[in-house]
Amino acid sequence: MMHFHVVNHNLSVGNIEVLGVSSSAYFQIGDTDYVALYSMFDTPPESVIVGPGAPLPEPALEDMPQVASQTGATLDVD
Amino acid sequence: MSTSDSMPATQQAARTIRTAHVGVYLLTSVAQAGIAQFGDRGETYARLRALAIQREEDHLKGGEFLFDSYDIFNRSLPELIDPDYENGKDVRIRRYNCSDAIHVGQVRIIAAGSSASLHVGNSMRYTAEARIKHIRQFKISRPFPPVGKPLL
Repeated sequence: MMHFHVVNHNLSVGNIEVLGVSSSAYFQIGDTDYVALYSMFDTPPESVIVGPGAPLPEPALEDMPQVASQTGATLDVD
Repeated sequence: MSTSDSMPATQQAARTIRTAHVGVYLLTSVAQAGIAQFGDRGETYARLRALAIQREEDHLKGGEFLFDSYDIFNRSLPELIDPDYENGKDVRIRRYNCSDAIHVGQVRIIAAGSSASLHVGNSMRYTAEARIKHIRQFKISRPFPPVGKPLL
């Protein structure tokens, strides 16, 4: 068993300037018991596609297709 | 908040939950499932999935992209491996607040978006998850460069 004793002394901040908070980031003035932030960010070389974007076949319709863009266009694989 | 009888009597009165006092809060924009909250909160699970597609063609010609096609959206979250915790050596946290207030004069935030959270107040549990896949898509009609020259 480890005992972790935290003493929070007086906290007084003059000015906070933030340009942007994004991608499940967290900005808080206050106390929290538990914080877990996960971020997965993928920009590999193979993310450059030349031609129609269909790196994998379209899943079966009953398998809950989560469509990212709502343009209504269909995949034209040639 | 945990309490203990071993604390000196002078500190007993200050063992309260802290309250945030903010003078000015200037917030320009909250968009894309961003949250701005003043007050306490119990539990949050913010989640963001994004396919960031940069295209040469317009979206109607470029076709659709599906979350299911990419591993990043199905990958399981990393787990913290803590042998001490598994052996029952857990950590007891005891907090003591000297002051029951957090003072902030002014906060100026230009933008909050993509499941971000701006919070003034206390919370118990905050979990957030962002998965972003970047893709750049070019037209196929573009002639390929000669061998040895870079693709771009």
